[in-house]
Amino acid sequence: MKKMIVALAFSMAAAAGAQTAPADPALFHVFGDKPGLVKLMDDFMLRLEADPRMAPHFKEANKQRVKEQLVDQFCQVTGGPCVYKGADMKSSHSNLEIGKRDFNGLVEVLQQSMDAQGIPFTAQNQLLAQLAHMHRDIITVK
Amino acid sequence: MIKKMSVVALACAALAGQVAHAETGKLALTGGVSSIDGAAGGGLTPWAVIGSNATAGEIGVTANVSRLSTQNYGLTTYGAALGYRERVEVSLAQQNFNAGPALALNGIAPFGVSPGQHVKMDIAGLKVHVAGDAILESDSLMPQVAVGVEYKRTHPGSIGSVLDFLGTRTSGTDLYVSATKLFLAQGVLVNATLRNTNANQNGLLGFGSAAPGRNSRSWQPEVSVALLLRPNLAIGAEYRRMPNNLEALGRAAGLGDALRADDWKDVFVAWAPSKNLSLTLAYVQLGRIVPGITDNRKQSGAYLSAQVAF
Repeated sequence: MKKMIVALAFSMAAAAGAQTAPADPALFHVFGDKPGLVKLMDDFMLRLEADPRMAPHFKEANKQRVKEQLVDQFCQVTGGPCVYKGADMKSSHSNLEIGKRDFNGLVEVLQQSMDAQGIPFTAQNQLLAQLAHMHRDIITVK
Repeated sequence: MIKKMSVVALACAALAGQVAHAETGKLALTGGVSSIDGAAGGGLTPWAVIGSNATAGEIGVTANVSRLSTQNYGLTTYGAALGYRERVEVSLAQQNFNAGPALALNGIAPFGVSPGQHVKMDIAGLKVHVAGDAILESDSLMPQVAVGVEYKRTHPGSIGSVLDFLGTRTSGTDLYVSATKLFLAQGVLVNATLRNTNANQNGLLGFGSAAPGRNSRSWQPEVSVALLLRPNLAIGAEYRRMPNNLEALGRAAGLGDALRADDWKDVFVAWAPSKNLSLTLAYVQLGRIVPGITDNRKQSGAYLSAQVAF
């Protein structure tokens, strides 16, 4: 369980490589391009560490690396000029215990973070729509 | 009415505030709100979602109270639902329908209807999630699908003689299939339900009818559309088609369209101030309900519902 969310974050990034990212960079711009995503992930990581459900899983994570990977992933799925190259998501989660509540918990913290960054709700949903289906590979405890 | 309900809502809010942070993991409002029949859904119609905050591997419980007041009638509902592993939902509800205008029926025949008579109805519901995921399958059109059953027993009091005269029974069973899909990128949730029923006004006027009214069951469509404005705020509209079983009987008795039933509609706003509490305010149109005793009025009014999740 310890490294679960770290792996989850990595594999979310990995999955981005497998998805067809929108060619239109409009959403990327709404998120403030790369500087905006870096700011978002700095905030996201702080909130994950402060969230009683998520914090235990991040205690020993290489937070800087996780943030960089997530920036690359979000950059790609929002139509920005990035390509994430990493381990594929399914195999990286196959031996981890991740339930739907863990997945939803991470989404909730991400929503709080996007709110704090002033990302409009409609843009938040457009991003989440690019990520939500990854539950199929991330959730291992059905 | 609204003042009274606000007090109830505030009491629920206070109660919810005391409930420890629920150890369950569903996203806000994705379990729907409580429908008047007890099942999770919109206000008038069940959805394919399983109620409560419980997600996979969890059990959750909700309790709700609602009040609807129209020109001539009032409906108060208390209900509770248990969601098990996002797979099965068991719900119980009791409706209390103020049928005061029924007193006028004594002028048609010596029915012996008491002044201020209420009709009560108990509803036991079971819903099983059979396929799909309404929220997370964002790259496919596949909806979440559930099948459900609602067993209803009506306690008409002194109106029982009228229901006997109409040849309606005091218990019945609705069967339904629901499909719910959240179009996440657009923030739009759509539900379609197909209900097999012979209930008159949801069962408050019994089930079926003597000939030449319609006694048989029929399939009735119900549709809800909701727009998510915030993670905890949605607006929407619902349409629920109702069987018109009794009109032909009334017409044959020389009463014209006195027993006509119309479709139900509403527009609503649902707000979840916390994970444990949701409030729904709606403007509801029920159409004509026994128009022969209500000056042919269409019934409409405010609906307020509060749901607490444990």
